[in-house]
Amino acid sequence: MIVQLIIGALMIGSVYGIVGLGYGMIYKASGLMTLAQGDMLMIGSFLGITFYKYLKFPFIVSLLLTMFIMFCLGEFIERAMVTTLLKKGAEPVYIILCTISVSMILQNSAMFIWGRNYLQFPSLFKTATVKILGYDIVPENLLCLGVGILCMVAMHFFMTKSKFGTSMRAAAQDETAASALGINVPATKGAAWGIASMLAGGVGVVVGPIFGVYMSMGAMIGQKGFAGAVVGGYGNMYGAIAGGMFFGFVETFISAYVSSSYKDLISFSVLIIVMIFMPTGLFKEQVME
Amino acid sequence: MLKKLRQKRISIIVLLIVAIICAFMLKERYLALVLCFICINTIAVTGLDILFGYTGQVSFGHAAYYAIGAYGSTLLSMKAGIPPAISILMASLISMVLGMIIAIPAAKLVKHFLSLLTIAFGQMVYIFISITDPLTNGYSGIMAIPHISLFGYTFTSNQSNFFLLLAITILVLIAKNRIIKSRVGRAFIAVRENTQAANGMGINVRYYKIMAFAISAFLTGLAGALYAHLVCFISPDSFTNTTSNLFMTMLLFGGIGSLAGPVIGSAILVIVTELMQSFVAYQMLIYAIFILAVLFYLPNGVIGILDTFRAKVKNKFGKKAE
Repeated sequence: MIVQLIIGALMIGSVYGIVGLGYGMIYKASGLMTLAQGDMLMIGSFLGITFYKYLKFPFIVSLLLTMFIMFCLGEFIERAMVTTLLKKGAEPVYIILCTISVSMILQNSAMFIWGRNYLQFPSLFKTATVKILGYDIVPENLLCLGVGILCMVAMHFFMTKSKFGTSMRAAAQDETAASALGINVPATKGAAWGIASMLAGGVGVVVGPIFGVYMSMGAMIGQKGFAGAVVGGYGNMYGAIAGGMFFGFVETFISAYVSSSYKDLISFSVLIIVMIFMPTGLFKEQVME
Repeated sequence: MLKKLRQKRISIIVLLIVAIICAFMLKERYLALVLCFICINTIAVTGLDILFGYTGQVSFGHAAYYAIGAYGSTLLSMKAGIPPAISILMASLISMVLGMIIAIPAAKLVKHFLSLLTIAFGQMVYIFISITDPLTNGYSGIMAIPHISLFGYTFTSNQSNFFLLLAITILVLIAKNRIIKSRVGRAFIAVRENTQAANGMGINVRYYKIMAFAISAFLTGLAGALYAHLVCFISPDSFTNTTSNLFMTMLLFGGIGSLAGPVIGSAILVIVTELMQSFVAYQMLIYAIFILAVLFYLPNGVIGILDTFRAKVKNKFGKKAE
């Protein structure tokens, strides 16, 4: 029982962590906030089911194709909407509103294309459960956890070891200095939005078999993701993962031992309490004026 | 003197046009209800305007105060037997107190984190009213809420409710005008324009931010309570974050930081929503298009267009500088 719970908590925690990582990346790279991450996850999930179930592509191809399309979508939103608005001299609050309307448009177009029914993702593995050390574990959960950890490790090495990742961090720290050193700052910003939505889309494909695919699936996951990002310290990559894991555990253990209807209420209460008493989060990010 | 007279004449003409439209709309029960909704949304959006338009504090969770007003007044009148006219005021005060509690941490957070906090608060209130079955009857909502009665007269018909709501809306607008023109309103604007400078001028920024939250929450709670007693049925569906976004859309579309902006915004949005009743599934898409239109093409809302138009007319026909 306890092992299954921990696996479940790690699984959902890594989902929240990766969605939150996207929020953090966008905030670090451009100082802006998006609220469309959850709906990016939903769109990714729908694209994944389309490729896998209807077009009969292999799973790994569907996953990579979805991630590529989501990267382009994220870049497009940054180029077509956010940059245009910023050039018009819009305040950051209006960018948040813009992403809210983007998320409404994404939900509505998903409803328009795929309908408002719950779609069943076909199971990826032949066996319903696998036995590991004598415990029955659903293989989809392990896949989700594996993809989550893979994304995190890949992001860590991309940001610290690769040239483009380093230039992204430089641009996040000081735009003027970075562009003086020949870093293409707009490209790093666009890449941050693209990577954030790519990660959300990829996670969407792997959570599809676990939760099913439906129009409003992204809303709650997206909000938990940002809760995780805030608790970990908004803008910090590792903080977002830690915060996401924290909410995964809180949620799983509360629904197991207290009541499943109170899990969201308690999660949001934790978020508000953290914002009141410890707004810098676990990793001490700057949030005050 | 002459300018004042002309302004008066314009406002009288506008009032007459509105009165004629109202007279036509009032003949029908349904259209009277639409007018009532316009009044209620105007009150709520006016509350948001004091917070966002004048003080520069963003809130994406105003449906929370709307819900607190609606559920507070309903429970006070149905469970405690307090007459609706008093329970509405009590619920608005409860909403105000909660607004102040949220404002205490909010007053020191920067913009992004304030949005996060208000969204989280909105979600929390929504989830709370959805899952506390014994108190709020959960997702199925509360039915048969009593109508408002004043001095022995019960406002049951939509027409009579409209006159009551119109009176309250006008009172709210007058009160807003008085607040904005006073020392407090000037302090709000100073906080919006430059927090550090306001601080340097001896304005207690924290105090005024909390005050703006309190006034805003009071007005939105009032609107929610009036809504509950008008429709006589409330369920958590009316208080999702779509409602918060709708208030924001109304405010931005009408124009922030003005007296008429919330009125115009809520009138247009309510009428569009009612016209699009057959496409109810695409309601969110319509709001999204409204928000994007405002962001890309009308940065100051409808009021901004009217102002530029007026300035152009003045340039053409007004006195030339000698």
